[in-house]
Amino acid sequence: MSEQSVAHPRASAIGAHVPLIDGIEKVTGRADYTADLDHHDALVGRIFRSPHSHARIVRLDVEKALALPGVIAIVTGEDCDVPFGVLPIAQNEYPMARDKVRYRGEPVAAVAAMDEAAAEAALALIDLEVEELPAYYHPDKARAPGAVDLHGDRPGNLERGVHHEFGDVAAGFEAADLVREGIFDCGEVTHVQMEPDASLAEYDAERDRLILHTCTQVPYYVHLHAAQCLGMDTSRIRVVKPHVGGGFGHRSETLNFEIITCILARAARAKVRMKLSREETFLTHRGRPNTRIKVKIGMTKDGRMTACACETIQAGGAYGGYGIVTILYSGALLNAIYDIPAVKFDGYRVYTNTPPCGAMRGHGTVNVRYAFESLLDEMAGELGLDPFEIRRRNLLKAPMETINGLRVESYGLPQCLDWVEQASAWAERRADLPKGKGLGLACSHYVSGAAKPVHWTGEPHAVVNLKLDFDGGVTVMTGAADIGQGSDTVLAQLVGEVLQLEIERVSVIANDSRITPKDNGSYSSRVTFMVGNAAIEAAEKLRGVLCAAAGRKLDAKPEDIECLGEIYRVRGGQDPGLSFKEVVEEALAHEGTITVKGTFTVPRSHQGGRYRGAGVGPSMAYSYAAVAAQVDVDSDTGLVTVEKIWVAHDCGFALNRLACEGQVQGAVWMGLGQALSEEIRYFKGLPLAPNMLDYRVPTIVESPHIEVELIESIDPNGPFGAKEASEGALAAVIPAVANAVTDAIGLRLHETPITPDRVITALVRSARDGRRDKPELGNTG
Amino acid sequence: MEYMPEFRTARPATMAEAVAIKAAEPGARFLAGGTDLVPNIRRGIVAPPTVIDLAGIAEMRGIEPLAGGLRIGAAVTLAELAAHERVRTAYGGLAQAAGGVAANTHREVATVGGNLCLDTRCVFYNQSEWWRRANDYCLKSKGEVCHVAPKGDHCFAAFSGDLAPALLVIGAEVEIIAPKGSRVVPLGAIYQDDGIDYLLLEADEMIAAVRLPALAEGFRTGYAKSHVRSAIDFPLAGVAVGLRREGKAIAELRIALTGTNSMPLAIEGTEGLTGGPPDEAMLEGLDALIGRQIQPMSSTFSPPGYRRRVVAKLTRSMIRALYLGG
Amino acid sequence: MIMAKSILSLVLNNRRRDHAVADNMLLIDYLREVCGLTGTKMGCDGGECGACTVLVDDRPRLSCISLAHSVAGRRVETIEGALSDGRMSRLQRGFHEKLGSQCGYCTPGQIMAAEGLLRRNPNPDDDEIRQGLSGNICRCTGYVKIIESVRSAIEEAAP
Ligand SMILES: Cc1cc2nc3c(=O)[nH]c(=O)nc-3n(C[C@H](O)[C@H](O)[C@H](O)COP(=O)(O)OP(=O)(O)OC[C@H]3O[C@@H](n4cnc5c(N)ncnc54)[C@H](O)[C@@H]3O)c2cc1C
Ligand code: SF4
Ligand code: FES
Ligand code: FES
Repeated sequence: MSEQSVAHPRASAIGAHVPLIDGIEKVTGRADYTADLDHHDALVGRIFRSPHSHARIVRLDVEKALALPGVIAIVTGEDCDVPFGVLPIAQNEYPMARDKVRYRGEPVAAVAAMDEAAAEAALALIDLEVEELPAYYHPDKARAPGAVDLHGDRPGNLERGVHHEFGDVAAGFEAADLVREGIFDCGEVTHVQMEPDASLAEYDAERDRLILHTCTQVPYYVHLHAAQCLGMDTSRIRVVKPHVGGGFGHRSETLNFEIITCILARAARAKVRMKLSREETFLTHRGRPNTRIKVKIGMTKDGRMTACACETIQAGGAYGGYGIVTILYSGALLNAIYDIPAVKFDGYRVYTNTPPCGAMRGHGTVNVRYAFESLLDEMAGELGLDPFEIRRRNLLKAPMETINGLRVESYGLPQCLDWVEQASAWAERRADLPKGKGLGLACSHYVSGAAKPVHWTGEPHAVVNLKLDFDGGVTVMTGAADIGQGSDTVLAQLVGEVLQLEIERVSVIANDSRITPKDNGSYSSRVTFMVGNAAIEAAEKLRGVLCAAAGRKLDAKPEDIECLGEIYRVRGGQDPGLSFKEVVEEALAHEGTITVKGTFTVPRSHQGGRYRGAGVGPSMAYSYAAVAAQVDVDSDTGLVTVEKIWVAHDCGFALNRLACEGQVQGAVWMGLGQALSEEIRYFKGLPLAPNMLDYRVPTIVESPHIEVELIESIDPNGPFGAKEASEGALAAVIPAVANAVTDAIGLRLHETPITPDRVITALVRSARDGRRDKPELGNTG
Repeated sequence: MEYMPEFRTARPATMAEAVAIKAAEPGARFLAGGTDLVPNIRRGIVAPPTVIDLAGIAEMRGIEPLAGGLRIGAAVTLAELAAHERVRTAYGGLAQAAGGVAANTHREVATVGGNLCLDTRCVFYNQSEWWRRANDYCLKSKGEVCHVAPKGDHCFAAFSGDLAPALLVIGAEVEIIAPKGSRVVPLGAIYQDDGIDYLLLEADEMIAAVRLPALAEGFRTGYAKSHVRSAIDFPLAGVAVGLRREGKAIAELRIALTGTNSMPLAIEGTEGLTGGPPDEAMLEGLDALIGRQIQPMSSTFSPPGYRRRVVAKLTRSMIRALYLGG
Repeated sequence: MIMAKSILSLVLNNRRRDHAVADNMLLIDYLREVCGLTGTKMGCDGGECGACTVLVDDRPRLSCISLAHSVAGRRVETIEGALSDGRMSRLQRGFHEKLGSQCGYCTPGQIMAAEGLLRRNPNPDDDEIRQGLSGNICRCTGYVKIIESVRSAIEEAAP
């Protein structure tokens, strides 16, 4: 801290280690999450969920349940015939199933009752009669000829097929000296944010108004969809986001239970609290789909890539959600990390009778990156090239535009590689590692905000309002959703920076649709970049107002006023100047309470090409990361232990070093879970592990130390040069661990998670086949 | 508020009172640390009308010397057991097993008696009411079929307690108390290999204490647990070994397992492996011996083939370690 | 249906409390719903995550799988009781300043488990910290800064 305090006089200055502005609430237990809000007069909401995977609803009888004492209202699919979904072009989900149910766990009805016991008893009395339909849990089955179409409008249950080719792929493979192909399978994973889902909806029957408190990353979308599904004017609805216990993408679209709570509250003409169990939160899901990736890379003898072809199949679950975006990201971000002259992508997003998948940290890119970096390592080995070397031979030169129309303006990947190589003492360490231990490297990248918003309204991408009043406090009003990532803090810091004020003078009011400007939400790592830029613009305007006021008092031109935060004075003059308070008084005397607005819009030049699907992938800036992992593999048990991680992440500029480090560590660690232990498997469509015992989120005991370096490439468009800091490193972790495991045991698994049983199976198979030193490329699964 | 089925709690002050209540109400359940029972109640797996809270029974709590060994009250917590000086030095495998159960916070309340009586586990059973109902329940509770072995009429839910194998290799006995009096039996005698009726306790019986015999000079014990995460997880499989070495030969060998069957399994026939060092021939004999007796099934999230293999591997390394350490 | 209730007396955050409580009520519901102490969080369906950790007679306890009546006559502490004189405890300060808390949802449980650890063992090494927090899942931090937070609290206490 001390060096920083020399460089920056203010403790909360950008670039410093700044604790979260709402950290004290969190550590004292005063932070209110949705389930903590006052609910003494609320009814208990519960959801009746489908026990069937795929079935036509013949009869749904709620009469007996409704007759129970203590049961106030029951709603069903009959109560809402308007579908919703995050993508305006793919809305095919009803809050409660109507004609059909498509996965086990799908909401069918909901109860509002006086207490838990009455609600539970009512659920047991709801009678659902169905006609079973064939159900498909795997994309191959769902796509097979003759398979029943889940939605009736997607033959072969193909939600979206993507076929993109940029550059001349055939010529690229022709020019290659080495061409290899591998098939990789990634298990389905989910967010497991620590706060289970919850909503509190209060309906005012006198005024026909609704207030919804909910644990979302996208209050604006929830607001739109609630209005749409309830047929209410948006002005009659107020959406408030309290503290949120993590999201990681689970909450980046409107979720069925949120709308159900609203429908229930209106039906009951009361306040309803809906608290989902952990199991129900697993059923609500929207995580990373089970994915099969076939990737093929061509390379010259000296390790220069000439072409890449990739086929990806995702088991998307029963509804659209973000599905189309996920499959497009999988293809688009094959680019913008290495220089590959020709890239072909064939993607298939398939409907299956399982809970819907959606966006999860590193949306769309993670599994493809695992496959790509695994194959890259494999080929480096064949060419006798060091893992660092092969990546260095394929670096981009920024600024540049990729073959699929992505603009890379800043590119810190070379520095990331340099740091990781040095910090891990790669060469020496690798040479010294005993048998059973291994080192692996991989790289990854991510967007800093999707350049095209999901809802294309023509509005600015971000708006921030500032208020300055008699009290001398600056209030930042934003719709950006802080879900634990610390966005409120970074906005306060940015405003403080421009105005040269300590963060104590700045407070943030976020996410109350009555008060704060609309924001698209916290996803695709857009908040720091977009909302941050809007906050800077607003703060600059406010500084202009204050400098004008100071100028009036000091008889100087506004541009000659120097703003030192608590003091405003004439630049170069002898006069001690005015205190902040005096300047504020003058400014208020002139125009009363001051409100200013800043906005940010991604220019057209950065919104991507014109082909179908071009809207997914473009961003004004990309983050980059390199990760090295050291692992130990126990040959008796097959248990992989990650002993140490080194990660360098190019975040452009670390506005808050503490928060950036924390985000990078969290992302890396989440990748470790997917790499080693986390997976959702289904038994006839029922998740086998909808709990925190068998869905194995790593504990503190086996979690390694993660050494982080923040690389600052200073992006020309970022707020003070900043880019994304919380998703980019995740994707590299999985291949880094996989490559390390290969280094340790001399053979490659083609599946995640790399659980002990999979390691043992691979070892046994390879011993049997006697091919221990010649790892075979291909599918093990 | 969480939904909780209704029940009444009885709070006896003595064991005699506790078993009297149980005798009068056979559907009642003893509640010790509650780390197994309460999650099961919350999931609707069991719904006892009465819960008999053992927390107020002082006579169940101590660890005392007994005939050169130790007597461990059934309500002793796993944290106490793992930290107990005598247990650590004389019964190393037991301390390791106790210290490896669940996580730190669970061990603060989880008891020895609860661990020994822990319900058998299965991915089709340890699920919510909604889940089990959607899956038509199963033999172990309310249903007609077993989803693990649909053709059979047997339940293969896995016994997954960590303590039992460690106690079996030291020849521990349990004191069982009932209104009609008490009895002392070898620990193995309270189990049978049936996922539903895994415990051979009468409806009015409870475990009062566990007796550890004095161990022969040089008899060493160890416990190893296979897991994915280093805390919280139940054992995928667990291996306890007791071994005494004379010169280069293994003079005495006992092996017991958890997680492989519906009861903790004391491997029979280990005498045949003694008399020599743990060389490859002996270890192959060991693999075969274990392989014949265990029966891991697809009742856990990790596949049975893996559990079969890891048991053999862990037993081998544990034997080698104890042999070399002696 | 109204269940029979009996009086539960305990000392909660240094204050004596007497409430009529049903036999089947969980400790977490007693704390959150009866006493309004919502700092204690529910993260799972029972015993799997540690978010609900409180202290009972100085030892950590999972309040989501404990019956309320099991703490009769005992001393119970929750995150709300960690403040003294309105100021944060050293662990709270550590978690705040070192970012051991991101979304904050696991934080009360982490802090109470760490408090229990430090009362037993005032000077734990990193492995002992890991063991002491072994039942507390955090999905945000990757645990690195949680360990640093506990370390910082220990150092604050050192003379
Ligand atoms: C997340 C999690 C992880 C776990 N991991 C493990 C693990 O790794 N290894 C492991 O072994 N266990 C594990 N457990 C299960 C459990 O915590 C332990 O087995 C614990 O020792 C059970 O003891 P208890 O006192 O809490 O039992 P309780 O829940 O109180 O009782 C368990 C059963 O035993 C009966 N019972 C209790 N005492 C007696 C008695 N004296 N006489 C007769 N019957 C009695 C009860 O009626 C009940 O049926 C885990 C539990 C959870 C929630
Ligand atoms: S083994 Fe079969 S009967 Fe036993 S719990 Fe599992 S599914 Fe049910
Ligand atoms: S809430 Fe998860 S252990 Fe208590
Ligand atoms: S800080 Fe979010 S779960 Fe730990």
